[in-house]
Amino acid sequence: MNSALQRQLRRSAKRTSLYIVLVGILFIIIFPIFFLFSFSFMSDYETYSEWPKPLVPSFKADFKIDKDTEGYHLYIFNKSENDFMPFGPLFFSNSEKDVSNLRKFIKLQANSKITDQKIEEYLRIVDKESKVEFSVRKDLLANYILFFQVINGAARAVLNSLMVAGATVVIALTIGGMGGYAFARYFFKGKNLLKLSVLFVRMFPAVSLAIPMVIILARMGLYDRPLGLSLVYSVGQISMSIWITASVFMSIPISLEEAAMIFGTTRVGAFWHVTLPLALPGLAACAMYSFIGSWNEVIAAVVLTQFNPTFPVVVYKALVGSQGQINLITAGSVAQAVPAIIFTLIIRKYIIQMWGGVKV
Amino acid sequence: MATLELVDLAKRFSKKVWGVRKMDLDVNEKEFIVLLGPSGCGKTTTMRMVAGLEEVTRGTIHLDGKDITDIPPRDRGISMVFQNYAIWPHMTVFDNIAFSLKLKKMPKAEIRQRVQETADMVKIGELLKRLPGQLSGGQQQRVALARALAVKPKLFLMDEPLSNLDAKLRVVMRTELKAIHQQTEATSIFVTHDQSEAMSMADRIVIMKDGEIIQIGTPDDVYFRSANMFVAGFIGTPPTNFFNIRCSVDGEEISLKHSNFKLVLPLKDFSELDAYNGKELVVGVRPEDIAVDSSDKALFTNKVLVVEPQGSHQVVALKLNDAIVKTIVSADQSVKPGDSIGFNFNLKRLHFFNMETENRIKTASEI
Amino acid sequence: MRITKPQLSLSRDNRKKMVPYLLIAPVIIYYTIFWLFPVLNAIVESFRDVDGIWTLGNYIYIFKDPVFYTALFDTAFLVIFSVTIEFVLAFGLALLINTKFKGSSIFLFLAMIPMALPAVAVGAMWSSGLATRGWLNSFLMHAGIIDDASKILFLAGGEMSRLWLIIIIDAWTVIPFVMIILLAGLQGIGADVREAGYIFGGTKFQVLRKITIPMLKPTITTAMILRIISAIQIWLIIVMLFGFNRLPTLLEQIVLNYDELGAASFERIGLALSVIVAIIVSATAILYLKVSGSFEKKKEQEVE
Repeated sequence: MNSALQRQLRRSAKRTSLYIVLVGILFIIIFPIFFLFSFSFMSDYETYSEWPKPLVPSFKADFKIDKDTEGYHLYIFNKSENDFMPFGPLFFSNSEKDVSNLRKFIKLQANSKITDQKIEEYLRIVDKESKVEFSVRKDLLANYILFFQVINGAARAVLNSLMVAGATVVIALTIGGMGGYAFARYFFKGKNLLKLSVLFVRMFPAVSLAIPMVIILARMGLYDRPLGLSLVYSVGQISMSIWITASVFMSIPISLEEAAMIFGTTRVGAFWHVTLPLALPGLAACAMYSFIGSWNEVIAAVVLTQFNPTFPVVVYKALVGSQGQINLITAGSVAQAVPAIIFTLIIRKYIIQMWGGVKV
Repeated sequence: MATLELVDLAKRFSKKVWGVRKMDLDVNEKEFIVLLGPSGCGKTTTMRMVAGLEEVTRGTIHLDGKDITDIPPRDRGISMVFQNYAIWPHMTVFDNIAFSLKLKKMPKAEIRQRVQETADMVKIGELLKRLPGQLSGGQQQRVALARALAVKPKLFLMDEPLSNLDAKLRVVMRTELKAIHQQTEATSIFVTHDQSEAMSMADRIVIMKDGEIIQIGTPDDVYFRSANMFVAGFIGTPPTNFFNIRCSVDGEEISLKHSNFKLVLPLKDFSELDAYNGKELVVGVRPEDIAVDSSDKALFTNKVLVVEPQGSHQVVALKLNDAIVKTIVSADQSVKPGDSIGFNFNLKRLHFFNMETENRIKTASEI
Repeated sequence: MRITKPQLSLSRDNRKKMVPYLLIAPVIIYYTIFWLFPVLNAIVESFRDVDGIWTLGNYIYIFKDPVFYTALFDTAFLVIFSVTIEFVLAFGLALLINTKFKGSSIFLFLAMIPMALPAVAVGAMWSSGLATRGWLNSFLMHAGIIDDASKILFLAGGEMSRLWLIIIIDAWTVIPFVMIILLAGLQGIGADVREAGYIFGGTKFQVLRKITIPMLKPTITTAMILRIISAIQIWLIIVMLFGFNRLPTLLEQIVLNYDELGAASFERIGLALSVIVAIIVSATAILYLKVSGSFEKKKEQEVE
């Protein structure tokens, strides 16, 4: 039928335009993240000597060695020039072949690993045929390893971050969870006011709170200690936890608890045996949310740490202080971002559920 | 007032899931049509396609001869009462009812008059300034009704509008809806899964199952001349009792043998059964057509399993072999569980069904 | 015994009433120690000088400082434009996802990623992208849109271009968050009220304006207030892209005074600035609630 055909055409036109819009949006979202990841796999040479910079990291580096009267010359293939370019100032005469120096240079500049024997083998070929071309596989994770080697205390900072986040999760989930249960099951005075605490605590800049907090924490002997930082993070995370756990507990019908009480347990027993197991996935989501919150936090941490910085502080200082090169910093950022992204995607259902229950 | 024609209408949700497989229906002017069926039968999908809320996969919809298959809901000249009322909580009752009139740019005085009229008709004339949150479920239902009536639609759609009301209010609203229909004479389509609702309100009932029409007919048609075992079992409470029977023709008589009884009928009244000589078929008997017979002419005698008093009558359940058989017995008859009682069938009200196809075998004895 | 019995049941009743207060007591205590106390401390200290003498000097210093007014303007500019743009785009996105097209859950999944990115990762991403020899110019060259001579100097523009750059980056980061809040609100509104809107004569736009948005209002208010509060406090991305004092905002000035300049007298100016910021934040939030009519609605409900 004609109208049916028209309808189908109209529908497919509509769908096509919808998906074009969607692809456009996804492009805008994914595009910068893609480069963040891409840079983190690039060698110094790719990031700094090729222009325009490559869009994707290569998996190998191509080299050429030739020989003239002065000695041996090393070249690397430059994709933007589409030719071999001189690589390093380093050429050596026949008498002093510092092979290990060459190996180190290749490793540092091109993230490629080659053995001394291989180099010597290639040099012999050069001797015979005056030049040699070879490619070496790139070590894609080199930046990540280097980041932790080069940046002082980066590994220690990850440990600090984990401890801060862990302590925050415990504090926020215990205190916030109790509050959330009260919200879900009882009416009490000041309930609405407390619900808005999430807003109130944000009204005073977190950075500014850090200043008096330094004094308080110092008095408690917790300044520049992971626990001290987590005490500060918990202020924000407790109010989030109240919101999330309240929505989690509300989704568990009170009749289930009542049934457990009729069948012989106390109110506390009913909570332990019925509500808590049912709430566990939601509480786990809440824990992950707090974890992400403190794992990502940098502002208060910058102020409140001195010799025991958290991981974000290290990356931040590397970025702002230009301690590291951009491919190293992106590697640090990705290392920090990946757990946060994974956790967020795991709990995305709960994030929506939580906000569904939040109204000013 | 309008006519509605559905031609070869179908809705496919995904490759494997059909909402409606095939639907042909002519609705006459002023008619009150009820779409009836179990959940998932496609009745709501059909209504949503008529309303324009669901795109049509195949087929056409004509309202008053005009093809409305592809035009948006607002231009169809329809109105609708939703199952959960769908009244807007942020608007007062007045604004809810006046919504479409305002969009049509009707003069203000006229809007006020029309809203008051319709609100009075459904008895919420006093509540116009309230917000829906302050109303009871029944009152919200009436707001939804008034909103739909205020449009003066060509076609009035109702999607299980009574299902959220308590049992008593539901019966009251049934009567009121019918009275409103008689007053407004709007062509109406009413979706429900409640067969007694359908029976009491419909001019014609469309019984659906698995996205297809099983039977279209007046309440009497579907009750007394059920097209197949599904309809016979679906319509009526308690449902029709079915007995598997072996048929044998013996001269001028047909005998129908069941493990507990044997019916002998004159062939001239049931000549259509001749074809089933020696075969099995199903006979359906409605509960009210099984009568207590304490004489020795009783067809069978059985122990009573359960008695359910209903006030005006009582439902007596028996266990015949493995099947439960329910009968309706007058209230003044004293029946107790465990009593052995004789029963007889009303032979003028027997329904015969083909065992394989489950379709009705028409007989000359039909009323 | 007979006399004590009713007393017993009364006290049990009282004990029951205590339960919620016992449950929220830790929250209150925690907030008092770790929020209220430092806040009060900050306020008090902002009115004292290094030697502990009461003074308005910190505030006078701020109000005499021309950078403060630049920071005020920049912050206001950022708040107005970034919150508006973010809201409009996020709302559009939420409406789109709420139509539940095929693949919408995967789309949502991907759209949420920016929300999870740590602030420093966002900083690293954009500073590596917007540098003159960053990935954005590289991409444009690979795509043949620009050549080496026409590289775009993203970070070298004037104040306005810097502000807009921050607005765009902030939008990229925050839209998923706003979208999630609005989507959660939309999912709480049944499809049938919108369908009723279409049946009773509404076009898509009319239904959106007269039904969806009014019903979504509590959610919209939540999202807007949260966004306004954090938009006023924007600084980290600015410092990561431009460094200090290139694009002054209120919070950037606080951090600069407190953390970078180091001296104790600057700390107190940081505190005074914080008090000013807190006042601005609360005033803006209350103003927003008032303008959007959220207070009136609450009153109405109380009257009921």
